[in-house]
Amino acid sequence: MIRPALAAALLLAAAAAFPQSAEEIVRRLEANQRFRTQEAEGSLVITDRFGSRTKTFLSYAEGQERMLLAFTNVEEKGQKILRLRDEIYLYFPEAEEVVRLQGAALKESVMGSDFSYEDLTGEKSLLDLYEVKLSGRELLAGREQFLLELKARARGVAYPAQKLWVDVEEYLPRRAEYYALSGRLLKTLEVLEVRRVGGRSVMSRAIMRDAMKKSSSTEFRVQRVKLDEPLPKNIFSLEALSW
Amino acid sequence: MKFLLSLAWKNLSRYRRRTTITAVALAVGVAVFIWMDGWLLGAELESRRNIIWYEAGAAKVLNQEYLEQIQNLPLKQVVEDAAGVERALASLGLEATRRAVFSGELFLGEGSLFVKAVALDPATDGRVFRLQETVRQGRFLQTGEPETLLGEWLARDLGAAVGDWVTVRARSRFGAFQTLDLQIVGILNCPNPVINQGTIFLPLDLADQALELEGAVSEIALAFPEWQEPEARLGQIRRALAGFPELAVADWQELARDFLAIAEGKRAGTGMLLLLIFIIAAVGISNTMLMAVYERVREIGMMRALGMRDLSIRLAFLLEAGGIGLIGSALGLVLGAALNWYMVRWGLDLSAFIGDMQVGYRVHSVFRSAWHPQALVGAVVFGVLASMLISFIPSSRALRKRITDCLRHV
Amino acid sequence: MKLAALAFRNIRRNRRRSLLSGAAIALAALAITFMFSWLSGILGDYRHNVVHYLTGHVRLRNAEYQANERLNPLHLSVAGSRELVARLEAEPLAAAVAPRIQFATAIYREEQTFGALGLGVDFPREEKFMQTAGSLSEGRLPRMGQREALLGAGLAGEVGVGVGERITLLGKNKYLGMAGMSFTVTGLARFPVSGFDRTFLLVPLDTAQAMLKMQDEATEVLLLARQEREAGELAARAGRILAEAGRGEVEVRPWDRIGMLVSLMRSIDVMYNFIALFFFILGTTVIINTTMMVIFERLREIGTVAALGMKPGEIVRLFFLEAFYISIISAFLGVLLGSAITLLLSRNGVDLSRMLQGVDFEVSAVIRPRLSIRSTVLVFLYSVAVSTLASFLPSRRAARVQPVEALRSI
Repeated sequence: MIRPALAAALLLAAAAAFPQSAEEIVRRLEANQRFRTQEAEGSLVITDRFGSRTKTFLSYAEGQERMLLAFTNVEEKGQKILRLRDEIYLYFPEAEEVVRLQGAALKESVMGSDFSYEDLTGEKSLLDLYEVKLSGRELLAGREQFLLELKARARGVAYPAQKLWVDVEEYLPRRAEYYALSGRLLKTLEVLEVRRVGGRSVMSRAIMRDAMKKSSSTEFRVQRVKLDEPLPKNIFSLEALSW
Repeated sequence: MKFLLSLAWKNLSRYRRRTTITAVALAVGVAVFIWMDGWLLGAELESRRNIIWYEAGAAKVLNQEYLEQIQNLPLKQVVEDAAGVERALASLGLEATRRAVFSGELFLGEGSLFVKAVALDPATDGRVFRLQETVRQGRFLQTGEPETLLGEWLARDLGAAVGDWVTVRARSRFGAFQTLDLQIVGILNCPNPVINQGTIFLPLDLADQALELEGAVSEIALAFPEWQEPEARLGQIRRALAGFPELAVADWQELARDFLAIAEGKRAGTGMLLLLIFIIAAVGISNTMLMAVYERVREIGMMRALGMRDLSIRLAFLLEAGGIGLIGSALGLVLGAALNWYMVRWGLDLSAFIGDMQVGYRVHSVFRSAWHPQALVGAVVFGVLASMLISFIPSSRALRKRITDCLRHV
Repeated sequence: MKLAALAFRNIRRNRRRSLLSGAAIALAALAITFMFSWLSGILGDYRHNVVHYLTGHVRLRNAEYQANERLNPLHLSVAGSRELVARLEAEPLAAAVAPRIQFATAIYREEQTFGALGLGVDFPREEKFMQTAGSLSEGRLPRMGQREALLGAGLAGEVGVGVGERITLLGKNKYLGMAGMSFTVTGLARFPVSGFDRTFLLVPLDTAQAMLKMQDEATEVLLLARQEREAGELAARAGRILAEAGRGEVEVRPWDRIGMLVSLMRSIDVMYNFIALFFFILGTTVIINTTMMVIFERLREIGTVAALGMKPGEIVRLFFLEAFYISIISAFLGVLLGSAITLLLSRNGVDLSRMLQGVDFEVSAVIRPRLSIRSTVLVFLYSVAVSTLASFLPSRRAARVQPVEALRSI
């Protein structure tokens, strides 16, 4: 009788000391970023060889499938991007029709940034798309990180390989690298700032760089976040876009 | 009849100077007409060739859905079983080659541009396309090597030279990002501006591997022998491909509808020139011929006085005019064909006159003619018939006169 | 003096012969005159379209625009365009000034998009430039400040939209953000070039500025000189005006330094000159042959006058004068007739539009031959010179022949 109990205890202890399988880390990471609703105010600073431009926005999200981005800066004031599952709609205050993006248009960049419309979609868990391997621990900016290596399970995944640095204490991503099939580095994401909101940690500043274009980067800042608070009714609908 | 033939021949050789002058007028007319017609046809075919030789082939087999959104070059819609399609078409005896086409961003140094990338099979591409002949610097692609060719204008815009390495960022067949490092081995100067400006080429096997194609291609381009009825051909191909319902066959006209119209425009503007040439030549022939016969009214009178029948005289003159027509037209044919041959074989390089523009664009400046058998035959037939017909007018007028009036004629 | 009278008498006496050789000269002169006008009409038309639609005589752009043109860089603009236009309009050499915004756009309609070339223009000012009102085929011009658009008829057909209907334009604004705006189609235009017809979409400049978030900016300001040859001078003056205003970022280019289109034009020009050369050769042989024939046929006559004691020098001069008179009269008539035909056709134009469906070449569907005084005078002098000289050779030879021999030849 004693032996099985001992074995179980030993196992538990081991689990406590090395609690993480790679999958477990990803699950906790994703759980950490999952909200019932999210409301935020932020900005994008887009830099390319012609210089820098700032776009400010309000964003609303519900679960993983619905999102609304409303721009508030002068140049694009009133423009909205609505995501419903895999569909993307654009609303322009000066246009009568709502534009539905399809096919090749989804691969275009949002406002000339290093994000594409495609990057906004995709509610699947990383675990559905990638095989995950824990390849060790590293220090980044003085904090310890898990270093995960992700390999796409299927062929249709935009980035066939990723490296992900996950903060050991907060279970938030700190850095990500996106690779092409050839193994060439395409983009890097660096999380510059994390903020505590209602007892949870949220990324509040991150920068995406195009590794092939030196002068190109997109910085993403969140000034204000509200989590799990009720959102205005029906905002994720085509009819509501023209508000 | 034999007598009349020999009389006509004797007359031709007796009045050598007259024969020569009339024949030369005729010859120059025929020669210029042939030359001009060949040139204009060449110019017309040129645009057609620019499409067929460098872009579209005579026809392409492609996925129906690909054809519908061909501007986006979707690599998702492919010809899956390229080998199967080629087997199905084998009995038709057509030349075929495979190509995969995709869009990508080309990086060189700090700069980047979006381009159309064409992956071709260096071993078979020459069966359908003539890209190889347009390589101006460096060499053509080799199978299995990480190499690329690009157009002169594109190279200029990027500041690229042979030997430079470029990177192409594209999406694989299934949508994954991929990058290809390629060395520029050649620079093209293709008469087709679309290719000069925004297309790069790379070996198909390389793209196949890099873009997860697994043997699938965007298109199978076909060449038809030029003399064949394209409509019948397309029908045959469609029947042969009955086992591939997802595929479509599009001929070059469908693939390049816009571009094609340029040729029409050129033809419309220059058809007038051909008409003018024809008029001058006809006037030249008829004038000298009229003159040649009018001057011989006295001779006609003499023949009639000697008891020759009108019909025989008329026939004698017709034969003589036909003889001059034949000599002149034959001379013109030889001259025109020689000129045309030169223009077909070597073309006329006017670049020295056009000069290198300060703006740096080199315009295609070699004009090539084409063979137009109908025009060759037509010009000769016209030369002979016109001479005979024209000689008919003055000789019959002389025959209507009284013999004494004829004899008094100076 | 006596010779001149004799020459005239000879011309009158051999009416048929004179008429024939005269007709040859006249027709050659006519055809060459007309051909020159036809070619210069095509070329002039090309020039007109390039200048009025694309480049102006002088083009002002941001100096960095050209290098980034493929990216449609709206931020590389000419700022303060209103004041600049006013200053340029004060320049007496400038016949017209037109600020424009060129932007790549897509027409979105019922979930489909169609690419187009958007042009934000100042419609009242364009009346001296594109002459938009003249191209209007249906509806009316957009009003400034309104969300109204004028579409090329071909483009409208492709999109399937008519006058009074609404379209949404998508694009990128100056800050590379998204831009979208709905417009009412108020008119359709048949632009002289069908390539423009299928791509051009004109909207008021100020509305384009609002849509693209450009302030008082244009991507280019085009100037039209009063005379084409003053383009260089106008460019220099525009440069001075910009320098005074401290606008170093704006680049001034006269239209003949703008590249592609002009290179292409030069190549067409050279080709046409080459064709003209062959026309001349043909015309020349016709003239020479007829003239020579006339003289050879008159050897007997020469023999007679020689037997009557006319000196060889006089004979040569007599024939020379005869040829001279005939050629002056007939070349004049030929040129006159050619000019008349040209003027007649240039009034109404020769409509090639049916043949020119969808041509991408900057030539209008209606060709108006253009009479050039210089080339017409040249053709006249040339015809006279050639035919007169052509008479010289055979008559000199004939004059040297013994009278008996000349009398013997028929």
